[in-house]
This record gives sequence, structure tokens and C-alpha cells, in this order.
Amino acid sequence: MSLALFWIFAILTLLFAVGVVVFRSPVSSAMSLVMSFVGLAALFVTLDAFFIAVVQVLVYAGAVMVLFLFIIMLLDLRTEERRPVKLAAWAGGGIVLAGFLVAIARVISSLPGATNTKPEILPGLNDVAQVGVALFRNFNLPFQIIGVLLLVATIGVVVLSRRELK
Amino acid sequence: MTNLLIALAPEAFLVITALVVLGIGVSAPKARGAITAATLLGGLVAAAALLLHPVDGNFLHGMVVLNPLARLFKLVLLGLGLVSVVFAAESFPKLHFAEALALLLFSMVGMMLLAGTEDLLMIFLALELTSLPLYILAAFAKESRASAEAGLKYFLIGSVAAAFLLYGLSLIYGVAGSTNLRVIAKLSGDPDPLLIAGIALTLLGFAFKIAVVPFQLWAPDVYEGAPTAAAALIASGSKVAGVFILTKILTLGLGHWTGTAGWGQFAPGWAPVLALMAAASVVLGNVAALVQSNVKRLLAYSAIAHGGYLLIGLCAADAPSLTAVLFYVIIYALTTAGAFGVVVIVEKQRGGSHLEDFEGLGKSSPVLALCLLVFLISLAGIPPLAGFFGKFYLFTSALANGRHLWLVILAVAMNAVSLYYYLIVLKHALVLPAPKETVPTAAPASKFLVVLLALAVLALGLAPNALIGPLSNGQTVKNIIINTLQK
Amino acid sequence: MPTLAHYLYVSGALFSIGLLGVLLRRNILIIFMGLELMLNAANLSLVAFSRFHPGLDGLPGYNAQVLVFFIITVAAAEVAVGLAIIVALFRAKQTVHVEDLDTLKF
Repeated sequence: MSLALFWIFAILTLLFAVGVVVFRSPVSSAMSLVMSFVGLAALFVTLDAFFIAVVQVLVYAGAVMVLFLFIIMLLDLRTEERRPVKLAAWAGGGIVLAGFLVAIARVISSLPGATNTKPEILPGLNDVAQVGVALFRNFNLPFQIIGVLLLVATIGVVVLSRRELK
Repeated sequence: MTNLLIALAPEAFLVITALVVLGIGVSAPKARGAITAATLLGGLVAAAALLLHPVDGNFLHGMVVLNPLARLFKLVLLGLGLVSVVFAAESFPKLHFAEALALLLFSMVGMMLLAGTEDLLMIFLALELTSLPLYILAAFAKESRASAEAGLKYFLIGSVAAAFLLYGLSLIYGVAGSTNLRVIAKLSGDPDPLLIAGIALTLLGFAFKIAVVPFQLWAPDVYEGAPTAAAALIASGSKVAGVFILTKILTLGLGHWTGTAGWGQFAPGWAPVLALMAAASVVLGNVAALVQSNVKRLLAYSAIAHGGYLLIGLCAADAPSLTAVLFYVIIYALTTAGAFGVVVIVEKQRGGSHLEDFEGLGKSSPVLALCLLVFLISLAGIPPLAGFFGKFYLFTSALANGRHLWLVILAVAMNAVSLYYYLIVLKHALVLPAPKETVPTAAPASKFLVVLLALAVLALGLAPNALIGPLSNGQTVKNIIINTLQK
Repeated sequence: MPTLAHYLYVSGALFSIGLLGVLLRRNILIIFMGLELMLNAANLSLVAFSRFHPGLDGLPGYNAQVLVFFIITVAAAEVAVGLAIIVALFRAKQTVHVEDLDTLKF
């Protein structure tokens, strides 16, 4: 059962990821990115990482996607005009991809314990509380740094995208 | 807890200064002098905090680790940051000046955090905090196409590198079960293939920070297109921070899996990967620099070549060569910052940074020309300047290891090539007459700083031990030595 | 039951697809989306490691999950900045194609 669920969501994630790369219209790419992220969130659920799954949907499928779509609309991007497809580039890309996949497969297959199934964990864990405790107890300093980082991003976005009044 | 506060006081002061600067920017956006003064004052307070209250120790399970070496690097990074703050007054657009300085300060905070941590999570966050403001600063001159393009290229390549780094870090975490470098170091025995993949991906990610092959593409465009003060920080501070933390990761965390990159004595590990990156960077950087007509692009290709030299020292991976790497990167950063300072002033006078814009510099401002001479000769590695001792020390320590002859021969040959393009710049600056009238500009602060940097390069050339001493006697270097010897 | 290897394969494939998008597509926005895929691949492998290597106390490795949380936040900040740079570039050059970025040249 859980294996079947895994395959459904894994294939969903990967298929839509391929969609992001091959679709011509930026809007289609963005929508398949959303689907890919939702599939990924489901995979997180199969790994008992409920909090991360929720954040994934909220931040990526929600905020980040809205941002992407907003920019696509703002810049009024339509379907890409057909530029000459560079066969050599795609072939090269295919070779890189294949090589990378083979390397990863070899690495993973030689990993000890890679074929173990999920070990038992305590049942009925309060996932959000656990992440919260880890976040605010052990990772307080990184949390503050993230705050500064978000401030930097805010300043940057305001300065860069503002239309200056002459 | 209070110790942790003292340990992080310099960074905290910088963040507060950035907020104050933003506040001044909102209430009096035209008071550029006040904004610069406030920034410099905050920087000096941070430096004072660093020097007057030195705390050593390991806080938060390795997230903040301070020792004399880390503090020395923090001080150097702070200094380099303040240098680009002074240059910023000459080269940033007038609009949003306060925001620009605040972003410079945030980037400095990231670099300083990077210098004082031994945890992969903190390393990632500090790297992002260093890079994100720099992406924005590179694109800061909005009306200039070159700047927007530079920002985008820097951002895209930087993000790809960050993705590689993260994927590598995730694999390393998967093997070690921890993000702490010292815990990772406790793994021993034959390297897991997953770990090797993780290390390789991490190294690729760092190739971006120190601008070496295969992530070197951004450097020429960013150096040319970004506002020059931002380029100065990217070329100096960000490189120092990147090299220092890479050294730390490789020796503290991954010291067991060095491998060898000797000719015919290849053993898997990170050294062979670095050796390939080093060889490619040294050749590409020096050859491509030969045909440049813009001094900033030329400096960029020379930066790629110097990144290669630094990696050679890292490949050798014993205590003397690591000291040499740290020594060289500081010298290199001071020299490059100085060279960028000259470019800032010339750009202001002539409106460009092409070779012909430097013509007649020797006549119009002999002091500046003399400083340029010092910087370029030091970059080329001619005695008695600091750059010579840096290279000498770097190459001899790599040779003493006995396995990296081929790399050192390549580097020395390519260094001879580099002499040619540095001399071309000097020919334009010192020999050729000025074709057009120059507008004499007063940039007293920048000029003063350039002279100061030139004097520092001269002094470190005459007395290199002043810097090598603290680098090699500090507690951490001892640790690094012990780590390397235990292998 | 899916094993650790299953998840790592998916993560590796996701990373490669993202990388392919970055290398081959010429539209900056889509390059950007490829980047997000690459970052998410790292997230997936981290969460998988956290679940398959629980600590001695029988809890999943929450440190890795916190790391994922940070990565998601950083990625969101990066997207915001990147899109702002794209807007600035579009205003200056009216293009979102990498091939049209030719102001700075060798």
C-alpha cells in the first residue's frame, strides 16, 4: 500500500518536473511546478514529516508560485517564440543527465542500509511541536540570521523593482 | 550565554549599524556624508569589540567557534568591507545610497559569521547572507544595462552553485548524521561513495565563491558590470571568506579523505578534484586575461587564475601549505581591493575603466600610478612585494609535499604569462600620454585608502612574518596541523 | 514499503531534471524554476535521511527537518530577489532570454 502511494507521488513529482523543463509557455511551466511541489509535499507526508509538507505547500505552492505567476503577468510573457533549437546543446544535456543519473544510481546502490525499510519511530508524535522545540532551542541563532536574511531580501526587492520618479 | 553575546557582539553591532543607516536613509536620503560616517563608525565599533573583548570558545554545538585565527579573519573581512564602504561613496548611484551601505554591512555580517563557524547549517546560512546582498548590489545601478545583467548572471550562477552545495551537504549529512564538522570528522575508514559524491558536489558549490572553473563564468561580467565598490567586495572579502571556510571544511571535516593528486599517484579524495579545478583555472584565467581591454575584466580573469593558485595550496593539504594559502588569500585580497580603489578613482575621472582611460595616469596623479604599480607588481609576484612572498611560500610548500610538481610547474609557467598583461596595464598608465583632458576629482578618502593599502602590501612584502606569525602559531592552525598529521 | 534508496533515486532524478532545465532552457524564469527543483531535491534527500536514520531516542532526525525549513525560507528569499532582478533587467533590456544578455562581452 505505502509502496503504491510512494510510486504514485514520485511519478507525479517527476512527470511534472519534466513538464517544467519542456513546456513552452511560462504559465504551463509554473503550473506544473506547483503540481511537482504538491507531489513532493505528499512524499514528505509518506516520510512522516507533516510540518515540512505543510510548509512546502504554503511557501512553495502558495507564495513562491504566486510570485512567479505575478512576474509572468507583469512582464506579459507569452509563449516563447520558436528560437532555433540547438540540437547539440540538447544532446549534450542529455549526456550530462544520463551520466549524472548513472553516477547517482551507482552511489546509491552501494550505500549500506539503502534497502532497509523505514525504522519504527514513536507512534503519535506531535511533529510540529518537535520541530518547534528544535527550532527555538537548538537553532535559535540560525533563526535570527534568517530574519536578517529576509530583511535583506525585502530591501533588495524594494530598491530593485521600484520605478524611480524623476 | 553572556559569553555568546560578547562573541557575537561585532556582528550584532554591524546589524544595528545597518538599521541605523537605513533609518538615516529614510529621514535624510541626501545626507550621504552622514550615512557613510555612520557606517564607518559602526564598523569601527565592531572592530573595537572584536579587538578589546576577545573571547575564545565553542558555542551552540559548534555553530559559533572563536579562536585567534577566526578572529584574525573576522578582522580582515571587516577591514575589507569598510574599504569598499569608502569606495562606495565614489561609485554607487546617488539614489538609495543608504540601502547600498546597509546591504554592504549585511554582507559583511555574513562573511564574519562564516569565518566563525564549524557547522554546515550555519555555513550555508552565512554563505547566503553573504551572497544575497552582493547579488542585489551587483544589480544596484538600475539604469545601467550592464549592472542589471551582471546582477542576473551573478545571481543565476550563484544560485546554481548554492543548489550543488546544498545537495552535497545533504549527502554528507546523510552519511554523517550531523552537520557539525567535528562530528563528520569522526567518520573514518574507507570513504562511502555517497560521501565522495557529497564532497564533490560541495566543492563545485565553493568553486563559485572563489571564482574557479567550472563556476568562473560570472566573474568577468560581474567585475565589469557591477558598481565598482561592490565588485571590490566581491573580489576581496567574499573570496577571503570562501577560501577560509573551504579550508576549514576540508581540513576539519573531511581531513580523512584528502586523496592525492600527484602525477601517477592518484588516490581518490578531494585533492584530485581540486587539482583539476586548479589546473583549469590557472590556464583559463591567465590566457583569457591576455586579450582583455577593460581593466576590471582583466582583474577578473586574474582573479580566476589566483583562485587556481590557492587551490594548489589546498591540494597539498599539509600545515605549511594551508598556512601559505591563508597568507596568500589575505595578501591577494588587500592587493585586489587596492587595485579596485585605483579603478574607482580613474573611473570617476575618465568615466570608464578601459585601458585607454588609464593613459596619462602617471602624469596626472603620480601617487595613484605608483600605487597601481605596487598592486600589479604584487599580483604578478615580483619581489620584494607581498605577492611574491605569498606565491613563493605557496609554491614551495606545495613542492615540499613532493607530489604536486606538475601543478606547480604549470602555475609558474602561467604566472610568467601573467606578467605580460599586468605590464600592458602599467604601460598604459605610466608610459602612454593622456589623449584627452581629465577632470581632476577630489576623492581624498579613497585616495588615502589606496595609499594605505599600497603601504600595507609593501610592508607585508618587507616583513611577511608579521602576518605569517599569527597565521601559523594560532591555536587553530595547530589543530589543523594535528588533524593533518593524524591522517 | 519504500526504502531509503527509493527516495534517493527520486531526489537524484529531480536534481538532474532541474539541472537540465537550468542548462538547456533560455528563458530566465524557467531556469529559475529548474533551480527550485534542484533545491527541492536536496530537501527530499534530507527529509528521507531524517526519517531513515532516527536518533537513539526513536525520534526522526529533527535537525535535518529544521535544516529543510531554513532551506525553504532561504529559497523563498532568493526567489524574491531573483524576480526583482529580472524585473529590473526587463525594464532595462526588454528581454528575459539568456541569449539576449550581450551587453557584457568577452
